[in-house]
Amino acid sequence: MMKLTAFRIKNFRSIVDTGWQNFSPDNITCLIGQNESGKTSVLEGLKVFYTGIISEDVLRSDLSLPEVSCRFIIPEGWLIKVTDNPGTELKELLSSLSHIELTRVWIADLSSEIVVSGEISQYLDSLEDAWRLYLGDVTSKLDQEIHQINEMEKVLSELTKEELEIKAKLPGGDTRGLGFRLFARKPAGQVSSQSAQYPILKNRLNEIKKNKEELSGELRGKQALKKTGEIWKKLKDKYSSLDNHLTELSVKLEERHQKMTLLMRPVDDDDDLEWKGILDDYRKTRSERDIQKAELDRHIALSGYIMNGSTEEEAGPKVNEIIQSYKSQYNSEILGKKFFEYCPVFELFEDFGSLLPNRIDMEDIITGNDQVEGYKAARNFLSIAQLDYSFFQQPSSRILKQKIENLNHTLTRNFQDFWQQSIGRNNKIHIQFELDHYSAAYGQKAGKPYLEFWIKDEGERLYPKQRSRGVRWFLSFYMELKASANINKQMVLLVDEPGVSLHARAQEDVLKVFEDIKDKIQVIYTTHSPHLVEINKLHRVLAVQRDDLDSLRSTTRILDPLRLSSASPDTLSPLQSILGNPVSGEGFSSRKFNLIVNDTGSFYILNAIIHLMGFKGKVSVIPSTNISSIPLMCNILMGWGLEFSVLLFENDKEIKIGDLLKETVFKTDSNRRDLIVKMPEKFFNSEDLLSTLDFKNHILKTREGITVANSEYIREKEIPRNFMFSRFLTDVKDEVIKLSDFDEESFENFKLVIDIFKGLK
Amino acid sequence: MTPQNQHSSDLISFVQNQVLDDHFASLRYAGIIQKALMPDPEILKGFFKDSFVLFLPRDIVSGDFYYVLRIRQYLCIAAGDCTGHGVPGALLSILGISFLNDILQGRIDPKANRVLNMMREKIMKALHQTGEKAETKDSIDIGLCIADCDSGKLQYSGANRPLIMIRNGELTEFKPDKMTLGLAPLREQPFTNQIIETLPGDKFYLFSDGFADQFGELTDKKFKHKHLKRVISSVSEFKMAKQKDVLQSTFLEWKGNTQQIDDVLIFGFQL
Repeated sequence: MMKLTAFRIKNFRSIVDTGWQNFSPDNITCLIGQNESGKTSVLEGLKVFYTGIISEDVLRSDLSLPEVSCRFIIPEGWLIKVTDNPGTELKELLSSLSHIELTRVWIADLSSEIVVSGEISQYLDSLEDAWRLYLGDVTSKLDQEIHQINEMEKVLSELTKEELEIKAKLPGGDTRGLGFRLFARKPAGQVSSQSAQYPILKNRLNEIKKNKEELSGELRGKQALKKTGEIWKKLKDKYSSLDNHLTELSVKLEERHQKMTLLMRPVDDDDDLEWKGILDDYRKTRSERDIQKAELDRHIALSGYIMNGSTEEEAGPKVNEIIQSYKSQYNSEILGKKFFEYCPVFELFEDFGSLLPNRIDMEDIITGNDQVEGYKAARNFLSIAQLDYSFFQQPSSRILKQKIENLNHTLTRNFQDFWQQSIGRNNKIHIQFELDHYSAAYGQKAGKPYLEFWIKDEGERLYPKQRSRGVRWFLSFYMELKASANINKQMVLLVDEPGVSLHARAQEDVLKVFEDIKDKIQVIYTTHSPHLVEINKLHRVLAVQRDDLDSLRSTTRILDPLRLSSASPDTLSPLQSILGNPVSGEGFSSRKFNLIVNDTGSFYILNAIIHLMGFKGKVSVIPSTNISSIPLMCNILMGWGLEFSVLLFENDKEIKIGDLLKETVFKTDSNRRDLIVKMPEKFFNSEDLLSTLDFKNHILKTREGITVANSEYIREKEIPRNFMFSRFLTDVKDEVIKLSDFDEESFENFKLVIDIFKGLK
Repeated sequence: MTPQNQHSSDLISFVQNQVLDDHFASLRYAGIIQKALMPDPEILKGFFKDSFVLFLPRDIVSGDFYYVLRIRQYLCIAAGDCTGHGVPGALLSILGISFLNDILQGRIDPKANRVLNMMREKIMKALHQTGEKAETKDSIDIGLCIADCDSGKLQYSGANRPLIMIRNGELTEFKPDKMTLGLAPLREQPFTNQIIETLPGDKFYLFSDGFADQFGELTDKKFKHKHLKRVISSVSEFKMAKQKDVLQSTFLEWKGNTQQIDDVLIFGFQL
């Protein structure tokens, strides 16, 4: 239902950010690149997108946490079907989408969660943003209100203070006791001056009383708000305290990551105990903080209603309503989790765990110990056989043996079908597994069950490891495929270096199998073998290389098929090996003029001429593996926007190719100099650029009389052309052969070649 | 000797003579064919302002040969000297003529040295000479000129055979490469091309080593190359026909009654 179409990996091993990279639409994507370029990191990145399990060693030195996103194509309307009651706006959005993006994000404790990203998350974020804005507004008003209440209380307190002072100044504080004050009155002048103040003070006192009454009345009305404010403050403080604690724990976790990354091994037990404590604390605090935040947000919303005069009881339902209106029932995490249920299974197939072992302990299979060699292959085996541990608890050994025999028979027959249909081989390979128990000689393991595997071929019974790498690989791969069929889910198969230890023909068989399964299983594989790249399917290729090719500390960069031209020659070596055989440092170049020649032999000869003549022009000679590959190379170079020409010699095949190029590739009748360079008629091939004598003396190193063109002689005698010419180039480079050793006929021809090179623009 | 034996002896003698006659007859015929492969001196008149060929085979057939071919503006002139003389030399000379035809007729812009390079390849191939086994050591020494009648330029390339030019009575010798057309002790090297800007009146001479190597009856010494040059120089003012006569009589006088040791060829021409 969900088909993986693109990925983006951030902060994973050597990868900082791959940017969005599309997979090939025909379900087979090939990652090419040198060793250590980051190809396997891409596969691992995709694998952990599925599993979520990472260790410290994938972290980059700046300890930024990884993030892996995948984009999937989905059928129209599918999202609506899998999302219950999405709400009008979300429903509208979901129904319009033809793809979704899921992102796995990791946090400081290296746990992760899947969130929906892209358009859905933008929408959810916009809702969240509106909610935040609303809360921000309410908070700001609440802050003002609280401030106002505080101010009023302050004023009230000042008024009270003033009132007391005035009262103290007035005799008796009031008319009572006036006679006593009169009795003890001061001299006439003095008395009159104080008395004169009394009315003023009295007036002020009355004014204060009035103001106080007003303020008290107002404050009484804001009593509920005041209470709300106090709770808000408490909640805020609690939230801040949790958040600060979480930040402190994050720092500690980072320190731990740093330590692990530097040590490249687990730390000791004491540290582990401390680590466990921190980790538990981190997770608990994080959860508490999130709860606290939700409570704080809800309280702020409640405060908004209380500010508007609602009572707490009235505000409660209103808060629920407004939360519902601002916040979807779904957030990125909920939807991410929901959609991820439908995500294809990502399986990594690699040599260590995926190749069938000779023997594996049942205990390791049962406990899921994937660190043991061949675990995955053994697990696949049991999955295909649809066995679980209870099978091996069969009390009757006779029945158990019979069942095992039946299983061996079925598996063998199925694999033979696959071996014949997909690989086209007829040898009868028998797969056998046996259940046995360790003898007393194995100490602690004594009596424990283990599985042993055998592969029989024409009577010879051998352990898997004793078999050819090819058979073992294909058998294990077959089991992976069969096991995936049992999962009953779509599958993205990540295959790391499938050809690394296989013979060239077996590598081509791997491609055949990929082609065979691609309609059911999406395959993403890494390689640097030319036998695992199909040159007419370059849309499948993603080139992986380091930003700085000479530094393993530099970051990984991925180049899509349209930008392959900017990849380094070493990265492109599988492609160039198919199209031609580059000598070190040579290859497609955007800085040089690319001159396509018929084959590697011509490449050697022309480079020898360039060397002999000391030509310093920017021409890169690109050999085609054979003449028929030339149109394809032209298409590729045109697609990449590289400057190039095709140098054609005067032989039947190249004349025909010249016509074909004009008709179908360049679509022009004219022999445009910048596209086709035709050598004069006397040169049937590059070796004819040497006089017969020089050809004999410097290449063949014989004295036999040659009366035909050099090229014809080579063909007639079936001489190993590339080998001879490669040796010639080496002799030239080593100055064993110098320009002065050639006769004037060869020199004249060399000059002609160099003049042609000079004319290339 | 009994009459029967006498009869047998006569019969043997008859048969032997008959066989010899047959041999001579076939040699004579071969000689005719060989001459037919070389241009008639009368035809040469059409190619040159003046020319002569002094061709004195030691036997009925010769290891020396001369060659003239006109291709467009180019006039190709050669005088060859095959190893040995008689039948083996003649066979090789026929190969040489054939190879020259083969090479020159396909050339648009013939270069004398390249013609010799190619001719050497052909000879080595024909004689299966690879330098690895004890193959035949037969070869051809040759002087080859290619005159461009439009530009007046004359290319010369020589395999052990020089070219002599007389200009205003002065003799110039163009030295050949010290290589032969065929397997040699040293690895093959390219022949050099010498270009001569000809002037009207220039006379050129190609020749085999037969004349110079001829022992004199009186001195029992070789005529020598130095003396040949002197003779050529001295007769160069004459018409070509006269030069031939003088050279021939000089040779015959020098040889006297001694045996001619090798074929003699001198090819003089004026462009």
